[in-house]
Amino acid sequence: MTPTPTTVPSEGHDRGPLELAQCDEGTLLGMLDELERRHGYIPRDVSDQLARLIDMRLEKIQRIQGKLDSTLRRDVLRHVDAWRDEEGNLIMILHAIQNEYGYVPREAAMELSRELGVKLARIYEVLTFYHYFKLQPPGRHTVVVCNGTACYLKGATDLINELRTRLGIAEGQTTPDRAFHFDVVRCIGCCGMSPALVVDGKTHGRVKSSEISALLEEARKKDAAR
Amino acid sequence: MKPLTFDELEAFAAARPAELDWIRVQLDTGGIAAGAQDILDDLVRLRDEAGLTIPIQSVGSVGYSFADPVVEIQCSGMPHVTYGRVDRHVAEGIIREHATSGRLIDDHVIATRNRRCVLEGPVTHILVRDTGSDAGNKTEFLQFSLLEELKRKGLGERVQVVRAMDLGLYDEGLAVQLLPAAVTYSNVLAPDVARIVDESVVGGRLIDDLLVRDPDRQVRIVLRNCGRIDPECIDDYLRHARGYQALARVLRELKPEDVVAELKVSGLRGRGGAGFPTWLKWQITAAQPSDERIVICNGDEGDPGAFMDRSVLESDPHSVLEGMMIAAYAMGASRGYFYIRAEYPKAVARVERAIAQAREAGLLGTNILGSSFAFEAKIRLGAGAFVCGEETALIASIEGRRGSPSPRPPYPSVKGLWGKPTAINNVETLANVPAILLNGGAWYARHGTEQSRGTKVFAVTGKVKNAQLVEVPMGTSLREIIYGICGGVLDDRQIKAVQTGGPSGGVIPEKHLDTPVSYETLQQLGSIMGSGGMLAMDETDSMVDVAKFYLRFCVDESCGKCAPCRIGGYQMLQILDRISRGRGAPDDLATLRRICLAMQRASLCGLGQTAPNPVLSTLRYFEEEYRAYIEGGPAFARKMSRSATSPTAAPVREPATAAS
Repeated sequence: MTPTPTTVPSEGHDRGPLELAQCDEGTLLGMLDELERRHGYIPRDVSDQLARLIDMRLEKIQRIQGKLDSTLRRDVLRHVDAWRDEEGNLIMILHAIQNEYGYVPREAAMELSRELGVKLARIYEVLTFYHYFKLQPPGRHTVVVCNGTACYLKGATDLINELRTRLGIAEGQTTPDRAFHFDVVRCIGCCGMSPALVVDGKTHGRVKSSEISALLEEARKKDAAR
Repeated sequence: MKPLTFDELEAFAAARPAELDWIRVQLDTGGIAAGAQDILDDLVRLRDEAGLTIPIQSVGSVGYSFADPVVEIQCSGMPHVTYGRVDRHVAEGIIREHATSGRLIDDHVIATRNRRCVLEGPVTHILVRDTGSDAGNKTEFLQFSLLEELKRKGLGERVQVVRAMDLGLYDEGLAVQLLPAAVTYSNVLAPDVARIVDESVVGGRLIDDLLVRDPDRQVRIVLRNCGRIDPECIDDYLRHARGYQALARVLRELKPEDVVAELKVSGLRGRGGAGFPTWLKWQITAAQPSDERIVICNGDEGDPGAFMDRSVLESDPHSVLEGMMIAAYAMGASRGYFYIRAEYPKAVARVERAIAQAREAGLLGTNILGSSFAFEAKIRLGAGAFVCGEETALIASIEGRRGSPSPRPPYPSVKGLWGKPTAINNVETLANVPAILLNGGAWYARHGTEQSRGTKVFAVTGKVKNAQLVEVPMGTSLREIIYGICGGVLDDRQIKAVQTGGPSGGVIPEKHLDTPVSYETLQQLGSIMGSGGMLAMDETDSMVDVAKFYLRFCVDESCGKCAPCRIGGYQMLQILDRISRGRGAPDDLATLRRICLAMQRASLCGLGQTAPNPVLSTLRYFEEEYRAYIEGGPAFARKMSRSATSPTAAPVREPATAAS
């Protein structure tokens, strides 16, 4: 049911809590506005009903949150267990977490901090020091330009500039629609086919900047197919 | 698999396999990026369709990066051939033509470098190539005239003339290689075509005035197994590469001191760049009183443009593991760590596999090969920090902390990982060790120069025709590496400089290209050996930009712990940026030099101490270029740099007047 403001009854409190529970937030807000406009205040029984409703919804959300927390906790625990008896295991566990999620979520870092007994600041010290670890979720596609010396000499700068214009973002950023993450890395070790570019794990060698739009288009097509 | 014993290992060494037929597809990161996996699948499918039984193996890379994907084929009754830039059509050709009807495929053959001077057996194929400049290429003409000549002699059916992709000769006119003997003739002129057919093909005699007598300039010690064995299969290593024989010899015959002595004879020095004698490092570590010692393999190959460690780890991980075990035995270590960049997933996976296989074969664990020696190896991943190639930072990273260096002494060999004496060796150093122990230190010391023994692997990239891995004896000149092996500069431009040593190294200008490569000579020229990246730069490359590129790298990678590196690097970058935009001041160069000196003297670790090298060496050899930027702006400087390196134009002395 989708009640419009005209169907809001003159007295809001003649609706039962069940009926209210089925309204979405927008409708409820509209109803409250309407009541306030009419009476200058919100009747006590309405606010009581709403408070109960909020509790119910909160509980539901908390259960979802709890579910998420426990899966995250289970994942983190699994990685910790695999490395528990190893000295200096922090970096290896972070690698495992990043492999799983594509980045290191803050909640995972917090869980890890509790589990290993390492201060969160220590974990973030490591996370922010190494270029490899990401703190933001990656885009659906990643475009990585190699800027090793060989690629640099053979025109990686052109590729970087082309990507900057095409995607409208700087390196290390993700497009607002989360479609592309764009990165520049040191050297992927394919100097024989420089300048090299990696799109979603597939390396393209001897790339010209005129070929970039086609590569991006190809990735977008995969999205559409999905 | 039950633990191996000495006798079983010995049996592996004794059983030399007969030369069988095989096709090898080179699957390293570079090859896979170029599509080698698809080629492998194609080849298997085509072979099955053709009803052939020839085994198809996946191996590591021999180092021909310019030709990826590379496929090598050995077929009975056919010469042994390497194909480069293999695509779908070539794969089809390999099965349907090469393996079936004995015909080679035009334009993709990479000739063997192992040229010989004896003409044995009848000639079945002739490779031809115009080794001169690409413009006005006469390869097809040579192919045509040879074929006509052969037809006249009634040999048109018996001998095939094939256009080669690369003959390993450059700037030597028209060249031919007679297969299977691998006799090579260069500077072939039109009248020689008839002679080659009459004398060599029909008569079986060599033509002395055309014969190329230079043997292969490369000596493969580190890369001995790369591209020859399946890196994911310990059996291949044991059977075909004398695998773990060196370890067996060490455990059975030598005391730890003897191993160190053997290395002392070999004169092997650290291949990570600094060149510290390996035996001394081991001896110092062994001499520390401690209940436990640790050996680390440094595979954190952070230099942009260098990929030899990756290639060795991907193509021959067992050799590195065996080297590590011998090192551990020599210094009484019981634990080893491979520290490998996370950016090299293939290398990590193959080393992981090698460790698991070695453990299964009883080569890791306790009572290795029935002896009292016990050893465990593990992998730790780097996470994209260049500074972690520095010993103390690397140790911090393995311990799970941020990779900040700490002051030395104490050196890691005294107080290293978790406070235990630790020896850190580069991948290439360790890969050398089994070969030295098998063939003797004296054998190794025969290669190279007085101070720098043995061979060195270089990853030659940049503006060269054939970017590839090169392993040459120390003392080979830069010119020979760039022109003799890698075919010179791309598009036949003028070479301007060669950069060695990555961000810690410097540039070597064209006039010093004849310098023999060794730790000392490169240092005298203001560069370093480094881990072995070698980049050729041509006249279009601005040296100020190059210096800026490397400096920006070091500034990004500076850990920020000590002020000279953190602040000095940034200030230099600002100045260079200003200069490259044409807004430099005349006294900027003096300021740059002062900051460089301060960084060299006062920085905590190798990164800061060597970060000024690219700036200092470009200043040393290309100061005019900096001046041109300051006095005339970028456009003028680019024009200058082109005219200064072109051989005809006289160097212009007064850039200021031209600027207006």
